[in-house]
Amino acid sequence: MQTHARAPVSRRRFLALSAAGAAAGAASLGGCALQVSTGVSGSGETVTMMVKADDLSPDLVQQAKKETGITIKRVDYDITKLIAMLTSGSPPDLVRGVGAVDAAYFAARDVMQELDDYFAASSVLRLDDLDPVNDLWRYDGRSQGKGPRYGMAKDFSQDSMFWFNTAAFDKKGVTYPSETEPVTFDEWLDDARRLAQRSQGQTTVFGGSYNGLVKLTLMATMTASAGGSLFSDDFSRVDFTTPEARKALAWYIDYCRLKVGPSPVLPDPNGWDGPTYQAGRLAMSNSGYWMGGMIGTDKKLAQVSRLAPAPVFAGGPRISACQGGTGLWMPRKAKNKDAAWRVFEWFFGEAPAKARASSGWGIPTLKSLRPLMPAKEEYQKRTLRAQENELRHFSVVSLSPYISGDAFEALFNQVATPAMQGEMSVDSLAGHLNSTINQQLKRGKEQVG
Amino acid sequence: MTATSVNPKSPARMRIRVNRLVLYTVLVVVTGLFLGPFGWLVLTGLKAPAELAAAPVHWLPTHFQWHNFADAYRLIDFLGYARNSLIIATLYATLVTLSSAWVGFGFARLTAPGKKTLFGILIGSMMLPQMITLLPTYLIFAKLGMVDTYWPWVLWGLSSAPYLVFLFRQFFAGLPRELEEAAIVDGCGYAGMFWRIFLPQSWPVLSASFVIAFTWTWGDYIAPQLLLSTDRSTLAVAVMTTYVSSAGTPITNLQAAASVMYVVPILLVFLVAQRGFVAGLSTSGLK
Repeated sequence: MQTHARAPVSRRRFLALSAAGAAAGAASLGGCALQVSTGVSGSGETVTMMVKADDLSPDLVQQAKKETGITIKRVDYDITKLIAMLTSGSPPDLVRGVGAVDAAYFAARDVMQELDDYFAASSVLRLDDLDPVNDLWRYDGRSQGKGPRYGMAKDFSQDSMFWFNTAAFDKKGVTYPSETEPVTFDEWLDDARRLAQRSQGQTTVFGGSYNGLVKLTLMATMTASAGGSLFSDDFSRVDFTTPEARKALAWYIDYCRLKVGPSPVLPDPNGWDGPTYQAGRLAMSNSGYWMGGMIGTDKKLAQVSRLAPAPVFAGGPRISACQGGTGLWMPRKAKNKDAAWRVFEWFFGEAPAKARASSGWGIPTLKSLRPLMPAKEEYQKRTLRAQENELRHFSVVSLSPYISGDAFEALFNQVATPAMQGEMSVDSLAGHLNSTINQQLKRGKEQVG
Repeated sequence: MTATSVNPKSPARMRIRVNRLVLYTVLVVVTGLFLGPFGWLVLTGLKAPAELAAAPVHWLPTHFQWHNFADAYRLIDFLGYARNSLIIATLYATLVTLSSAWVGFGFARLTAPGKKTLFGILIGSMMLPQMITLLPTYLIFAKLGMVDTYWPWVLWGLSSAPYLVFLFRQFFAGLPRELEEAAIVDGCGYAGMFWRIFLPQSWPVLSASFVIAFTWTWGDYIAPQLLLSTDRSTLAVAVMTTYVSSAGTPITNLQAAASVMYVVPILLVFLVAQRGFVAGLSTSGLK
């Protein structure tokens, strides 16, 4: 009985049935509605865009179809997915990117398409109409801000500026910062200390936030404000021990130690400044013009909000860079480049661009669209004056192509946390940051070749 | 003296009462710890945006914003994403339960050279983090033209899952040998034996396996995010990525409300199948 039960024929049959079952299952499922076609019915072309939900709503997709005849297939932005798509040779036709940190990084890896020929032939996106912020999307093989164009920003802010709430200043009897002349970083920190409110060991009102967009842009921009450069000439190394970089680092570590605002050691549960500022729990917010879009939706808040210039270091130059410049780029291996460019033109120069310009969420990246910026109410006019004054101090701060913003952020926060908690000196921290980040830069340079 | 005649005030009785009190207190605290985050999620879903940043913290909303749930439902194609999740989860859970039962039966009742080694490799594969296989998986499906289709879930389902194979193998190994022998005497082959005798006996494990596989897939963010386009993706991805303002800022209260609605189907599946789920884990020796 036992022998029969384990006869080879029966086992083979079992295994054969397993294989046949799998094959039959797969085959039979082919007939049902499992296949989700990726093709497009009807005429027109399809462009795949890897974006975030706020970049391109379903309504805009429909609008694009109506106005350009092109169907847009949306893919959620995800860096792992982007790398997978690039590796497989089937990248999206257009990809979201943050100009300040992504342009040089991806251009150096030769995955971006140069767009100069497209720009030269375009009547929608004329070169003489492009705001200088779009230079963040240029890279000449060594420095950002020069060379071929690889993308364009959809809107921007000068992210070192800050908003302040006059009610919070009045409550503490602190003098308002000027809306035209910059305060020094030390003055800013002193104000933040006086404006912070605590109760039972908890910070109930933050004096001010100053974290930049990401630590990479924050440190590079602040070092530039101190008159130096965070990177070596060939962008292959950082040096936090130079007097300028050390000054920037020391100021930020002081800011964290004093716990006057959100930081890696005192995170704001809201994740960004908007709700905290709106709730009257943040006296100064290191957010540029773009946060005016949110402030404008709350009339009471708008009346007490002012936009101030980027702080400076005493005796240092006035630097007011854009730390973001979020926009789109086209992969070199995109399948449908011409259709993608048409969508690019529509997105940056036609209806969506005009809608963005008038929303108050950022400065338009075409100079011709600036008249659309909101300037009807008194507070809007006031904000616009401060912003127009600051535009004169715009410059591109070049970043290294050998490290991503995420990698820098992770390494910086990991290494700097003990210093933020007062357990490490700034000089020790500068040395640790140099060795840790330079290792990553070395790996990045080896990858780029 | 029998147990029933113990004096209610006797030391033994008191000890039992104290033990129970301690036990129930611990259970209530642990339940509170587990329910706490979910309760906070529900309360966040009922708050106005301004209350989210209030200090001191508003534990309860000043005015319950019940409309947040309707708003969260309307803001995205909630039903469409839920349908995609349901299709993928049901499809995968059904296929992987059957294929794992089939493989588990083989490991439990058949002999073959290298069976133990093969089983060890199978179980060892559970230790492989998903992140490691992510890119190769994408590349394979991209080459097969299966990106942005539900075919990967079909193939994964047909391939069985190591943990579920282990579950079935343990259960089938515990069934008496006489069952198998009687079936063979009656002229039944292994396939018939599996379908007619062993599978009908294994409802508790089938139920447990289905619940586990369904919740895996319903809650999976990485695979649908990697393989599906935005409009064809699942509720897990949509809840995570689409509750943002036109400026990209998160709409936290609506996201919390949507998360509550997202969890409900899983709770229902568990409530319906919990008896079988618990029995399944018990009978497979994994209790």
